[in-house]
Amino acid sequence: MDFSLTPEQKIFRDTVYRYGRDEIAPLCEEADLKGEFSFEIWNKLGEMGILGLPLPEELGGGGADIVTCCLAGEALGHAGVDGGSLLAWGAHTYLCACNIHDFGTEEQKRTYIPKLASGEWIGCMGLTEPGSGSDAASMRTTATKKGDRYILNGSKTFITNAPVADVFVVFANADRSKKHEGITAFIIEKDTPGLSTGKPFHKMGCRCSSTSEVFFEDCEVPQENVLGGEGGGWLIALSGVEWDRCTLLSPMLGAALCNLDLCARYANERHQFNRPIREFQAIQRRIADMKVFIEASRLAIYRVASSKDNGTMLNPLQAAVSKVYAGDVGFEMASEAVQVFGGYGFMHEYPVERNFRDSKLAAIGGGTSDIMRMIVSRIMLMQ
Amino acid sequence: MDYQLTEQERQFQKDVADFLQEQIAPRTAGFDQCPRGEINDRMRENLKTLANQNLLGAGINDDRLDLIQVYLAGEEIARACASTFLSARSSVYLCGGALALFGTPNQKERYIPALKSADKIGAIAYSEDAAGSDISAIGTIARRDGDAWLISGKKHIVINAPIADVFVVLAYTEPDAGAETGMSFFLVERNTPGLSVGEPLDTMGVRGVPLASLTLANCRCTEVLGGAAGNGHQQFEQLMTMGCVGITALCVGIGTACMEISTRHAKERRAFGRQIGKFQDVGFKLSDMFTYNDLGRMLGIRAACALNNHEDDAVILAACAKLFASEAVTKIVNWGMQVFAGHGYLKGSDIERLYRDARFAEICEGTSEIQRALISRHELDRFQQV
Repeated sequence: MDFSLTPEQKIFRDTVYRYGRDEIAPLCEEADLKGEFSFEIWNKLGEMGILGLPLPEELGGGGADIVTCCLAGEALGHAGVDGGSLLAWGAHTYLCACNIHDFGTEEQKRTYIPKLASGEWIGCMGLTEPGSGSDAASMRTTATKKGDRYILNGSKTFITNAPVADVFVVFANADRSKKHEGITAFIIEKDTPGLSTGKPFHKMGCRCSSTSEVFFEDCEVPQENVLGGEGGGWLIALSGVEWDRCTLLSPMLGAALCNLDLCARYANERHQFNRPIREFQAIQRRIADMKVFIEASRLAIYRVASSKDNGTMLNPLQAAVSKVYAGDVGFEMASEAVQVFGGYGFMHEYPVERNFRDSKLAAIGGGTSDIMRMIVSRIMLMQ
Repeated sequence: MDYQLTEQERQFQKDVADFLQEQIAPRTAGFDQCPRGEINDRMRENLKTLANQNLLGAGINDDRLDLIQVYLAGEEIARACASTFLSARSSVYLCGGALALFGTPNQKERYIPALKSADKIGAIAYSEDAAGSDISAIGTIARRDGDAWLISGKKHIVINAPIADVFVVLAYTEPDAGAETGMSFFLVERNTPGLSVGEPLDTMGVRGVPLASLTLANCRCTEVLGGAAGNGHQQFEQLMTMGCVGITALCVGIGTACMEISTRHAKERRAFGRQIGKFQDVGFKLSDMFTYNDLGRMLGIRAACALNNHEDDAVILAACAKLFASEAVTKIVNWGMQVFAGHGYLKGSDIERLYRDARFAEICEGTSEIQRALISRHELDRFQQV
């Protein structure tokens, strides 16, 4: 095994960390409390080249490998950039732009990738529906073929970036008799008649990402906007899993690093009973547990990332380990960070409070922890 | 970057596993329950079996340890028999490892090949009745006597003491200088006058390990490990750091054994018309076993790699691995017991043995409390105000 980063990767991580800390993190508290998508933060991410990081350079991207993408997520989370802004980035870059890149025609790539890579256009992906979450194959949105067009009807929910998106990658079933093999992906632009989005939801955490429903009412989509061929949607949806288990989790690892730094600093500064609270073992225990969590989840996340870079087929067990551990234990650790800060930790003005709220998403989004356990136990019982 | 084992490492792991599951694992249950008087011979036999397959001392090269090899072989030995792993490890990795890292060429030559072939068995003796986590509190003292030293003191719980031919013993050589510079390791042969081994000790788990106290009464010894006195504490710390990799291997080995039998039981056992593994409350326990065991292994290999490469944070990574894996295996065997329920609680069941064996990990060689103190201090000091 080789756990080392290249010198370039290290420099990149440190550069992104400093940029995030100095340029973006100061904007996050206010944006989070407003609960609105922040174009200011978005543009800062774009200026740094983060929004097109894994996309090819000839299409305006950064040409980075997956490990480097995870380093960016980790560094930005560590720097104190909020989970919502990083989620908006993840949905845009990995779930929308990368899917267009990986499954799109040359024409589709030329049309969409450069503008998505720069952040001029914002992308989103619509899979989840009001009645189909973990059981994604049971989606009810339909695509009916009519000449050289498809007519979409149905609705999506919890769609990250939908209220601000210019480009939607959405899934609909073109032949429900074929069940998941009928699922087809479409690229839809925001002004397409029949496409509309709901009011942004008020969320517990990740509040700088804007999330809403998406409605299709006889929404006509030309055939050339099918992504990955008719019936090819399920494969695209599944490929999202690979991103979920590494690049989309890396900001959560970053947030844990951020919390550890904040707690370790606070425990040195804060005095009670005439001594710094770092001298109390109850505080030390939490600090140690955060560090162990960071090292273990780092291994899980970068294992998925490096496998993807090395062209190794995704091991579903390894992917699930990454998600379930970072999600469940990450939330526990974020709670412990609030506890270290006591009453202050309960206040909005302390980032541990926001990290706590943001961290809950990791056990829910992109396949809940329960689904991860279902996958692992099924495989174990089959062997 | 590549977080997967190489094809070669995977093959090594598989070969080792196949051999051990055939040759060692079938004897493990009997080992746990046999009359205590039989333990010594049974362990000698197991160590010889490992040696004949070149598994005793895998990863020990002239003057360095390849800790990834140590980890991979160790995990498989522990999976087959936790007691055999602990005994083998004390002999070749702690005693033999101390020699490989700190011994003089002559000391290495005299002992390491013999330890690797199991012609000789080694032990390491450091903790005492009143000195465990706080090793500076040991009362064993070596006094100069011409060219030699006279060592006196009592070592409380020494793995392999009943069967060892050579002991690496920690003593104060200059008590007034303090632990940092006043301690030394000595090489003491079993037949040295003044050295006596106590009655065998019985334990809750890992009951195949020959265990006894060691008393040294003006025990005349000429050999300081490595020749020069005063390096004992630093050598001890280095051994304990590397020891974290070994204990992580112990934990993951036990965890793997537990996961295997629990999964099999969850498939075979039926209730309410279906396999019990199909109930989420059972199936998810299997899943959590996998997750924690898998991450324990990753942390163990990560720490091994950091130590091999002398990375800056190797000590902390080793502590994280030991802390994580030992607490994980406590959970894993607890879940395992829950999967087996009443059947598992019967004396002589495999899960009952693993349950007892696993409990050793959190308390040995730096308790979880000590690991947390070490890790948190490291993190807190990054922000210490001057």
